[in-house]
Amino acid sequence: MSAPIAADPIVELVGVSKDYPLGKLTVQALRGVDLRIERGAFIAIAGPSGSGKTTLLNLVGCVDVPTAGAVRIEGQSTSELSEKQLTTLRLHKLGFIFQSFNLVGVLDVFQNVELPLLLQGGLTGAERKRRVAEMVDKVGLTPQTRQRPNELSGGQRQRVAIARALVTRPAIVMADEPTANLDSTTGGAIIELMKDINREDHTTFIFSTHDANVMSHARRLVELVDGRIAADHPVAEAD
Amino acid sequence: MAGSPLAQARVLAQMALRSLASHKVKSLIVGSIMVFGTALVVVGTSLLDSVEAGMERSIVKSLSGHLQLYDAEAKDDLALFGGATMGGDDYGEVPDFGEVQRVVQAQDGVEAVVPMGLGIANMSRGSELDRALDALRRAVEAGDAATREAMIHRVQRLLELTRADLTNSRAITADTTDLDANLAHVERAQQAAFWAPFRGDDLDAKRAALDFLDTQVAPAGGDGVQYYLRYLGTDLPLFARVFDRFRIVEGEPVPEGRRGLLINKRFADSQLKLKVARLLDDLHDAVTLNDARIADDAALTAKARQARSLYGSLTLMLAPEDAAALEAALRAEFPDVAPTDGQSPLDALVQAALTVDDDTLKARYAFFYAQIAPRVALYPFRVGDVLTLRAFTKRGYMKSVNVKVYGTFEFAGLERSELSGAANLVDLMTFRDLYGQMTEAQQAELKAIQAEVGLERVDRADAEDAFFGGDGDSVEKTADGSVFGDFDVARIEREAGTRVADDRPFTREQMVDGVVLNAAVVLKDGVDLDDAQARIQAAVDAAGLRLKVVDWRAASGVIGQFVMVIRGVLLLAIGIIFIVALVIINNSMLMATLERVREIGTLRAIGAQRRFVMAMVMLETLVLGLLSGTVGAGLGAALVSWMGSVGIPAKNDILVFLFSGPRLHPAVGASNLLVALVVILVVSLISTWYPARIATRVQPVEAMREA
Ligand SMILES: Nc1ncnc2c1ncn2[C@@H]1O[C@H](COP(=O)(O)OP(=O)(O)OP(=O)(O)O)[C@@H](O)[C@H]1O
Ligand SMILES: [Mg+2]
Repeated sequence: MSAPIAADPIVELVGVSKDYPLGKLTVQALRGVDLRIERGAFIAIAGPSGSGKTTLLNLVGCVDVPTAGAVRIEGQSTSELSEKQLTTLRLHKLGFIFQSFNLVGVLDVFQNVELPLLLQGGLTGAERKRRVAEMVDKVGLTPQTRQRPNELSGGQRQRVAIARALVTRPAIVMADEPTANLDSTTGGAIIELMKDINREDHTTFIFSTHDANVMSHARRLVELVDGRIAADHPVAEAD
Repeated sequence: MAGSPLAQARVLAQMALRSLASHKVKSLIVGSIMVFGTALVVVGTSLLDSVEAGMERSIVKSLSGHLQLYDAEAKDDLALFGGATMGGDDYGEVPDFGEVQRVVQAQDGVEAVVPMGLGIANMSRGSELDRALDALRRAVEAGDAATREAMIHRVQRLLELTRADLTNSRAITADTTDLDANLAHVERAQQAAFWAPFRGDDLDAKRAALDFLDTQVAPAGGDGVQYYLRYLGTDLPLFARVFDRFRIVEGEPVPEGRRGLLINKRFADSQLKLKVARLLDDLHDAVTLNDARIADDAALTAKARQARSLYGSLTLMLAPEDAAALEAALRAEFPDVAPTDGQSPLDALVQAALTVDDDTLKARYAFFYAQIAPRVALYPFRVGDVLTLRAFTKRGYMKSVNVKVYGTFEFAGLERSELSGAANLVDLMTFRDLYGQMTEAQQAELKAIQAEVGLERVDRADAEDAFFGGDGDSVEKTADGSVFGDFDVARIEREAGTRVADDRPFTREQMVDGVVLNAAVVLKDGVDLDDAQARIQAAVDAAGLRLKVVDWRAASGVIGQFVMVIRGVLLLAIGIIFIVALVIINNSMLMATLERVREIGTLRAIGAQRRFVMAMVMLETLVLGLLSGTVGAGLGAALVSWMGSVGIPAKNDILVFLFSGPRLHPAVGASNLLVALVVILVVSLISTWYPARIATRVQPVEAMREA
């Protein structure tokens, strides 16, 4: 293995296109996207509806593969992996935060957070419990540990989702419009939480948003228009 | 693949349980079907096992033994308890039982080999008029005036009844020529002048009058009753020893080396017993054992009405002194009864005693057996009587044999079962006589013929033609071979008084070394049936005996297939219920899966493999199956043990037989529970297979789609 270079990107997209068949037509959701994301980035993907934000996140999140070009996660091209390997990759390297939280309704807060660790295996029960408790505490939900998602507010649910995404200590966390279903105050708090974790653990965060306020929290902003990168620039620290 | 299988399984189980709890209606519907299905399997298989065990006891320990051997080339399958054709079956024959016994007895685990031969014989009893005339003739010949007068009185009474019968028949018959002729004869015999010679001294005139009565009047008085008696010829002492259900009821066993007949008590009660007594028995059984009510049951009401109408058959049988005693007893019981037109006071009293309804049945039934039954002949035979059995030999000659009735017997626990009355028992020598077995002298003669003609083998049947064809003494040839054609009932009845039993003793060797139709093998306790069957078949094959060995189920006839049929029906019912369950579980799980596409997609996105999703869906039904299965098995077991403690009453005679007693006490075996649980779990898995496959196809991107 070569010595790590500071500029070595954790995610690299080279000439990435994604077509969706739509009846007899083909929707070109992404058209030749080149993008390098450094380790520890806190990057927002912006753009109008239909511009390809979700498509981009899906490719980076390894839930889909590009039609053309290459998506590399830590140098590994996702097109070369089997479905099973992609799943393993997601389990170990990636974390997901969803717009609608997507918690398992029949499990309580603790169990939702514990789930990825159970899928990974390898930890003793005690170690696992400690990690889950620590994570739940980090998102400020210790009092709600044994509650089920339907007993929580939207913001609390998204905190559970964040804890679930981070409990495995992933390299990259994907968040597709994580604040779209929250009011602006709660949304702001969620972004603050993500930002804190990014600062502490250097976890790479890639999130999409429509919200200018949320964008302002990012350190880098990529703007998509019609499946192409229209702008890519750093953002001045808000506070 | 890494993972914490145990912890994963635990969370999956928890997810399954909670998912079931959060879909209460679905879980309840599917769960109820599973509970019902499991309970049905437990109850059904437990009952069937118990019935089969009961049936095995009934069949094995009464007639069949564990295995039966018979001619490998037999045209029909052995049916000890009766098959499709009653009696006409051809089971081939086993020419030398002795050899079979030696070969089979040498096998391990064989308790006894019992020779057998089934046949059907005819036994007849004349009409009342026949018997009264017979008694009158004897009184006339003996010059016994008192009996003569009593008998004349009885004949006259019977003529009145005959006339009434004929008149009734005439009203509903188109061609009355024969009836008119009979009526004329009866009316002539009813005139006072007809009886005048009996008080005179002219014996010839008396005989002429008697002949007229015998030949012209008696035939109009109805046929005598003929009975068909299914008999099993066997080694009676051995039979009594190894078939432990066998029990002498009345009389004594037939001694070793003697000829004799044992009449089946059940057969006697249901076929031979006096009609009015049978009717009362039926009513009494229905009311006391089955809690039936005469008033609510058309068939019972009809029987009660018929019993009431049969008073004449009783009063006619009474000897004069018995009639007087009975009349006194009845008068005390029924002081207010007055005769209607044409009835004697005794008739009216007996009729009153036979008039039963739900309130009076028990008392009148007891009265009947205390006062009336002892004074009449309830059965057409008495222990110690000599009966004439008539049967067709294989070649169609009628043979008759006189045999002494030593007693009656029953099969313990099966007293009420009609099927247990399937056969009466005779010694093997009598069986052979009726079957057409040649005597030693005849066999010697056959050998001489063979030597003379130079034939290797003369067919036994041909030989029978040669010997019996011209022999009018013991064999009656019938031209058309019709079963028990018209023989003169009155004549047979008259012979009865002079019948002499064939009482030549025989040795064990004579009995053993000869023809039988089949043989029962009784095994020692704990011997494996299938294994024994295979070994014995191999042994008889090796000995060159052309025999087939069948188990008790196959040997018993239709009844043996009964459990198989019920098992089939049960399997079908269970099958249908489970197919319904399968469809319902499949549908509801499929719907649940479609509702959960986002959840499944999320699990896939965060790193769950397809296998995990598969396990998640499957486990949900499996947990439901396990819970419902346990509840269902518990309910089923509880139901069976409740039935076991209370007992299921055998409401009819077939059930008595199947239950091997008046009540079935079923028990649950571990195997019944295990089978039920396995079945329900397999059904759960199969029914969830498709929804689970669908679930594994859910793509992780589904998690990203907005609702
Ligand atoms: N599975 C699909 N099949 C067909 N077309 C698709 C599919 N997914 C996305 N598209 C199309 O691709 C284009 C990009 O969609 P995408 O969801 O990436 O946009 P987006 O920027 O996330 O939009 P929004 O802001 O509304 O979420 C759109 O035109 C969309 O209709
Ligand atoms: Mg989108």
